[in-house]
Order: sequence, then structure tokens, then C-alpha cells
Amino acid sequence: MKRSAIFTLITLFVLIPLTLWFGMQLSGRWYYLTSTLIVVEIMIPFFFSFEERKPQARELAVIAVMSAIAAVSRMVVPIPNFKPIFAVIMISGIAFGPQTGFLVGAMSAFASNFFASQGPWTPWQMMAYGVAGLLAGTLARGRKMKKPLPLAVFGFVSVLLVIGPLLDLSSVFTMLTEITWAGVLSVFGYGLTVNVSQGISTAVTLLLVSKPLLQMLERIRVKYGILDQRSFEAGKGDAQ
Amino acid sequence: MAEGRRDAFSAFHPAVNFIFFLIAIGFGVVVQHPVYLTAGLLGAAAYYFLLYGKKGAKLLLALLPVACLIALFNPLFNTRGDVVLFLLFGRPYTLEALLYGCAVGGMLLLMMLWFGCYSAVMTGDKFTSLFGNLIPSLSLLLVMIFRMVPELARKGRQITEARKCIGKGTGAHSRYRDKAKEGLTVLGCLTAWSLEGSIVTADSMKSRGYGCGKRTSFRLSRMTGRDWGALFVMAVLAAGFLTFAAMGSTEAAFTPKLSFAALQGWNILGFAAYCLYLLLPAAIHIEEALRWRAWKSGI
Repeated sequence: MKRSAIFTLITLFVLIPLTLWFGMQLSGRWYYLTSTLIVVEIMIPFFFSFEERKPQARELAVIAVMSAIAAVSRMVVPIPNFKPIFAVIMISGIAFGPQTGFLVGAMSAFASNFFASQGPWTPWQMMAYGVAGLLAGTLARGRKMKKPLPLAVFGFVSVLLVIGPLLDLSSVFTMLTEITWAGVLSVFGYGLTVNVSQGISTAVTLLLVSKPLLQMLERIRVKYGILDQRSFEAGKGDAQ
Repeated sequence: MAEGRRDAFSAFHPAVNFIFFLIAIGFGVVVQHPVYLTAGLLGAAAYYFLLYGKKGAKLLLALLPVACLIALFNPLFNTRGDVVLFLLFGRPYTLEALLYGCAVGGMLLLMMLWFGCYSAVMTGDKFTSLFGNLIPSLSLLLVMIFRMVPELARKGRQITEARKCIGKGTGAHSRYRDKAKEGLTVLGCLTAWSLEGSIVTADSMKSRGYGCGKRTSFRLSRMTGRDWGALFVMAVLAAGFLTFAAMGSTEAAFTPKLSFAALQGWNILGFAAYCLYLLLPAAIHIEEALRWRAWKSGI
């Protein structure tokens, strides 16, 4: 078995239950620390398998460019309430697969927080942005889904139902004095307006640029043979 | 990257900085004993203002209302407690719940202050030099992103201006729709341009020997005697207050009845260790500033 697979199994079946159990034993406000630890633990296997693969220079450079574009689109777009970051991450996920999508999302969140400020939200943002790439990479790779309109619908729905709520969860654990259904619902309700506007900007971006961007990325992928799923498999075969 | 002032604690080894914040933030988000909380807030605020100066007031002014709102809203959800201050919408508004809200708001404030300090002290180069051996590919990725962000912003401006020159840009009075469309066109150009560049970068990296041997880091950091000393002091103090905390010196309950662990006897020792720990970075900063001033006036 590969080292990263063993590591993933240990994380899923030992580390996370242990953290949960430990967190439940303690009274007081341990739930922020426990939940954040679990978020970090879920992300570790992704990062670990990336490290173990010993990525090629071209792979690194393309991931870095996509993450940097996502980070820049989060910070310097001059239009208020219009953030195309999720769309950029999703497009990377569709073009290069779920694992790369996750990396682009998580790294762009982490890196852009160095320019703004790191905070209790950092692990949650990394997770949520990564999930955006992961979801797009797994669900939207089919030929029919790659059309602009289905993609836009996919983008809107996933931001509204998965990514937005994941981000709101960090507010639930930091801002609420007590975890009650009423409190959680009010946080999600408050976040709804932000999520809807984020969802709309994601959908609009996907509608307008997904086709040319995907073509561009596809061309680069084929031309230089980078981040190709088949070449990953071949590389893995060599390593064993 | 938040621009810090000249700070002596930042000059220590990144590991010292990182471990300090790990313990301070980890302890801060869990302990709700009012005395510990107040001490934490004072300590964090002191270092925060040393780092940011007058600019620091901005964050504090933005956060205080949030903390106050959390405090004032808690009794609306949570009606347990003996001392009823008044009735609101037929529900009791209790002192205990209000105090608990204050504690949670205070913890949020404490966390934000520490993270503000963290951002100024643990800059990107420090993070990557610290974790460069553990996660070499990821930290290289991070370095590449750091380099590309300002470059992409510059390229983006170039594209925008070039488009303006040929009469394609948008002005300040353009419609929202046109602005969004223009922004997305620029995004497309930017992606094409940068991806082409990235292939060149990658080939250049490869021809210079990427992947053979260990990578060096931009920042040279070696644990010196001073760093080991700081680490030792931190370890002793942290062991002190963590042991007492495990024994119950930070126990605090607000609702339904206020009950705090008394600050007496041996517990004072734990609290003192916590205070000293909190003041460590501020003390190092001030000591250096004083020495610097004395040295300058001596000339």
C-alpha cells in the first residue's frame, strides 16, 4: 500500500475520531478548536499525497498560476460584490482534475490571506475553496456539464449549498455563544445574502468565460502534457 | 503582507514565533475564565499596538461593536441565570447570560488581536522557510504564488490600460454589466499570458536543476543561543500555566450560576506564568527599543 493511502486511513479512522472524542470529553468552548483541528486533519491527506507525488516543475508552475489568478481575482477586482474566485477555482478543477482543483482552491485561500490577514477563518476558507475545486473536478467533468449554462447552474448551486455554508460554519463556531439550532439557522440566514451574491458572480463568470478558459487550459494540458490524468498513472507506475 | 514595524520578537527564529502564537491562540480560544481573558486581552493588545502603532486602532474599532453585539445578543437566546435584569419580549434578560456573552465576545477579540500580530510577525518568507523541509513542494508553490500575485496585478493593470488605449475599456461611470464583462475579458487575457509564462518558468526551473537535492530557502535562519533561550522560557511558562489549567485553575461557568475557579494559593502561580508568557513578545520589543534609544543617545 502507498504511504499516502495508509496516512489517509489513519487520519480518517484514528485521528479524527480521537479528536472528536477528546473534544466531547471537555466542557467549555472547545468546539472551535476541535472543529478546526478536524478541518485541518481532513486536508492533510490531500497535501501529503501531493508531496509524495513529487510534482514536476511544469505542474507546479501551472498550479501556482491558477492559484495566483484566483487569489488576485479575490483581492483586486474593482467591482464590489463581484468575486470570480470560485469560478477560477472550479475551472481549474474541471480542466486538471479534482486533486489539482482542491490544491488550487486551498492554496489561493491560504496565500491571499497572507496579503489580507490570517484569522480563525483560514483553515475553513482553505477547506471551502478547496471543496469548490474538488466538486467541480468530480461532478462537472462530463462533456454535457462542460457547456456554459449547466456549469453556471452548477456553480450557483454549489456555492449556495456547499461552499457558502462551509464558510458560514466558521462563524458558527467563533461567533455563537452557544450552539443551538436557532443560532445556527440565524448565522446561515445572515450569510445567505452574501452566498447568493457570491453564487451569482460565480455563475456569471462561468457563463461568460468558462468556454474560452477551458479551451485554453485544455490546449496547454494537451500541448505540454501536464497534469494529465494518464501521465499521473504512468508516473505512479514508475515510482512503485 | 501586513507591514510590521521594527520588531525585536520578529527577529527570533520563525519556529519560536510560530510556537508562541500556536500556544497563545490555542489557549486563548478555549479559556473563558474572566481574569485570564482580561489578562490575555491586555497582553495581546499591548503587543498589537507595539506592532501596528496608531493604525492598530482601526481593527479594534471595527471589532468592538461585533464583540458588544455578541454580548448583548446572547441573553436573547439564552435565558438561563438567576439575576434577571429586565424582561424583554416577555423573556428574562439575565446578568449571567450577558456576562457569558461578554466572555465570548472577549474571546473573539483576543483571537483577532493575536491573529493580527501573527500576520505581522509570521510573514510568508518565514512560513515557507520554517516548513520548507516538511512540505517542500507546497512551500515552493506558496513562494511562487507570493511572487505571482503582485506580478499578475501589474499585468492586469497593463492589460486594462492597453485596452483603454484602443477604446475598449470602461470608465468610472460605465454600467455595472459592462464593468463585469470588461473585468472578465481582462481575466481571460491574464490567464493566457500567465500560463504561457508559467511554461517558460517551469522549463527554466528544470534546466537549473529543480528536483535534484535539497532546496535552500531565501531566509537564512538558524537557532542561536538566544532562540533556544526564548524557547526554553516559553516552554517553562507554558508548562506552568497548562499544568494548572489541567488541574482546574481556569474553570469557569456562567449559566445558570456564575462560578469561577478562585485565584488563590497555587493558582496564582499559574496565572503569573500566563501573564509573563503574554508579555514576552512585548517585553522583548520594548527592551530592544530602549537599548536602541540608549545606544543612539550615547553617540
